Amino acid sequence: MKRVLLTLTAIAVLTVLFGFTAQTAHAQSTALTSEQIDKIKSNCTSIKSTLNQLHASDALLRVNRGQVYESMASKLMDPFNSRLGSNRLDSKATSAVTTSYRDALNGFRNDYKSYEEKISSALRINCFDEPELFYSTIEQARVNRAKVHDDVNKLHRYIDDYRQAVGDFLLNFERISE
Amino acid sequence: MAEPINLQPDEDMTFWDKHRLSLMLILTVLIALILTVVSMIAYNASGTAQLDLSRPGVSSVSDKVDRTDKITEYGAFGSINKDSINEFTKLYDEQAKKAKAVDAFNGDPLNPEILEFGVTDSNE
Repeated sequence: MKRVLLTLTAIAVLTVLFGFTAQTAHAQSTALTSEQIDKIKSNCTSIKSTLNQLHASDALLRVNRGQVYESMASKLMDPFNSRLGSNRLDSKATSAVTTSYRDALNGFRNDYKSYEEKISSALRINCFDEPELFYSTIEQARVNRAKVHDDVNKLHRYIDDYRQAVGDFLLNFERISE
Repeated sequence: MAEPINLQPDEDMTFWDKHRLSLMLILTVLIALILTVVSMIAYNASGTAQLDLSRPGVSSVSDKVDRTDKITEYGAFGSINKDSINEFTKLYDEQAKKAKAVDAFNGDPLNPEILEFGVTDSNE
């Protein structure tokens, strides 16, 4: 009984300590100097204006790029895989790349959604009254935007991989056809 | 000859009989409210909101959406031979070039230095 109580106490103490450390780390990561707070307050209007422009231009980029990336899968990759399948030819390699491409496309959609939600909430914050919250929200949006860029790079890599897979298929096809 | 109308005395009417119209109206409004809330949740949760360029704040760019880029769809049915594969690679290369032409979301526009609230170096 005593041992159980000791274990429970130890777990409780560790949990509190871990929570405190995590909170301190978070507080440190969003810590602002008084100089930065003053700058945010004095440039509040111009920062919001820049964020508004970025929000609009990124929304347009999301729509235009999203269309192109979606078309790559739905109008080219999927039909080609289906044609290979209906001709009873090996479509494992191209299908595998298409699956990875679709996963990356979903990642792109979800990460953009998270980024857009953060930048929208930053735009709703009064940067004059709440500069710390404004700063931490922008920092989170910044991290999320970097993730979206990573997703774009991933998609570009899979586009190349698919082309490579089709090239390999063509080589094998020619060899068999000879 | 028309049948006599059976009029029920007021004291025999139940609560539902007396307030049928009001209750129906309240129920209709409630159903409409619930459906609107469900639609808004779906609109926001599915990511559709992010694609809606008619929203305030992004409506200024709605006329800049690329509507001209029509991609030729590759046929899902038909035979596979060297010509059909070459036709596909030609279509694919064209589209891949367009897809990779833009390094979207690059740079760091949310950097505090760019947004003019970075820390000034004291040595400067």
